Amino acid sequence: MLEIIIQGVLLSGLYALIAVGFTLIFSVGRVLNLAYGAYIMVAGYIYFYFSQLLGLPPIAGLLLAGILGACMGLLKYNLIVKPLKADHIAVEISTLILAVVLQSAVILCFGNSAKILLPIIPGVIHIGNATVTYNVLVATIASWLILIGLYLFIKRTHVGRAMMAVSMDTKGASISGVDIDKINMITWGISGFLGAIAGVFFASYTQLSPTMWVAPLIIAIAIVIVGGIGSIIGTLVVAHIIGFMEIISVALISPQLRGVFTMLLIILVLVIRPKGLFGREEL
Amino acid sequence: MMDFLEIDKLSAFYGKAKALHEVSLTVKQGEIIAIIGANGAGKSTFLDSIMGLTKTEGDIRLEGQSLIGRSTPQIVESGVGYAPERFNLFPYMSVYDNLLVGAFTARTDIEKNIKVVENLFPRLKERRNQETHTQSGGERQMVSLGRALMSSPRLLIVDEPTIGLAPKICIEIASVLKRLRDEFNTTIVITEQNANFAMTLAERLYVLESGSIKIQGSVEELKNDPQLTEAYFGH
Ligand SMILES: Nc1ncnc2c1ncn2[C@@H]1O[C@H](COP(=O)(O)OP(=O)(O)O)[C@@H](O)[C@H]1O
Ligand SMILES: [Mg+2]
Repeated sequence: MLEIIIQGVLLSGLYALIAVGFTLIFSVGRVLNLAYGAYIMVAGYIYFYFSQLLGLPPIAGLLLAGILGACMGLLKYNLIVKPLKADHIAVEISTLILAVVLQSAVILCFGNSAKILLPIIPGVIHIGNATVTYNVLVATIASWLILIGLYLFIKRTHVGRAMMAVSMDTKGASISGVDIDKINMITWGISGFLGAIAGVFFASYTQLSPTMWVAPLIIAIAIVIVGGIGSIIGTLVVAHIIGFMEIISVALISPQLRGVFTMLLIILVLVIRPKGLFGREEL
Repeated sequence: MMDFLEIDKLSAFYGKAKALHEVSLTVKQGEIIAIIGANGAGKSTFLDSIMGLTKTEGDIRLEGQSLIGRSTPQIVESGVGYAPERFNLFPYMSVYDNLLVGAFTARTDIEKNIKVVENLFPRLKERRNQETHTQSGGERQMVSLGRALMSSPRLLIVDEPTIGLAPKICIEIASVLKRLRDEFNTTIVITEQNANFAMTLAERLYVLESGSIKIQGSVEELKNDPQLTEAYFGH
């Protein structure tokens, strides 16, 4: 029982971090960024390259992955999303294509086989009869700190409030003096950064492989659909619902069912509450 | 002689459709003018065009400086505040946060401007923490005007300030707009379907029909104009 609670809390914190970058883009830019999972994967490999192949300290690898993730987000906004702005389907198709292209690129550079990331911080801690690696504990604490930081940034700063404003009414934001394009750029940059950090943690939680982008993408989509848009609190709550659901189904039923309940939940919510449990009515 | 706001043969387009036809008008500093027109006449298009929100031809000059080619945020920064037709508020943000977003280009004046706004609309002070999607139409109009004032505008443009509001609120809004002009020398352009209300507030009127100015003049001149009487006092 304690084991389930601890594993659930740890996994859910990570899921919240995975989802929040995706939620941001969807809320502010109304773009379903299907390449988001691929950022997560590429960031894992960037970390692997710098920290494990070149031997830089883990924190440097993590930061480099974050910075390069932000650059990928910015490039994607400027080269794909902005030119195709009017056409949502085209944006979604091209983000999916980008994901597949990135997967091929990673196979070319690093090969097809899965890789194990060395723990960012080695060691384990015993809580009751549960064993928790420092690695996972650090990932969860870092996720929480980043989420709290993001929450405060959005609520307390001019740029953060402007991001919220754009997500609710672009014309209203524009006539308030907010440069929509600039806010979109900032959002894509932050999202890329968060996705990359989440990617390193996720890769060290599971393992690194060229197809690992699918699972986090589905988790992110599930959290947005169930949590509704524009709500960090909603993201956090739903991340815990999904995280616990997975841990419980793995522990009590079968590890094979890991993702199945998540998908069932997506479909269920789409059918009964298209705006998500915490969603807002469009005005 | 250069006027405060000069609009020169302004046309606006939605795709190929021309919604505004060579509209020209001038406004002096500290003046209140009203654009009168029925539904679909082009009032909102005209105000959106001043804000750089539509595709236009012609010129718009504020104190001699052309606004053409500037982005909407740059036009806000040049001193134009806009309270649009449907308010375009941020529904899940508090009244106070809505006002703060309005201060995006004027961050050094926030305290001063909040005082001005809450003094003009005491109700916004009482409702500071209320999310605007739960508010009445009158309160939303106040937030919308307040948000526009947070950028310290010298020109305030307001699209149908009283549409759908109770008479008591209309009077309150009108008196606030008058105070803004009298106390802060803000120049004001409003649009209206109701010529009666416009005449209680504005000094000069322009009548817009199908995207063109048909009649113009001071309230004194137009008060007894049979053309205007027929079309705009009918109801
Ligand atoms: N976004 C738009 N796309 C196409 N046509 C529009 C749009 N907005 C307004 N129009 C057209 O432009 C004309 C003027 O509309 P509008 O400026 O909203 O008038 P008013 O504010 O006086 O009611 C109308 O014929 C309307 O149908
Ligand atoms: Mg209108």
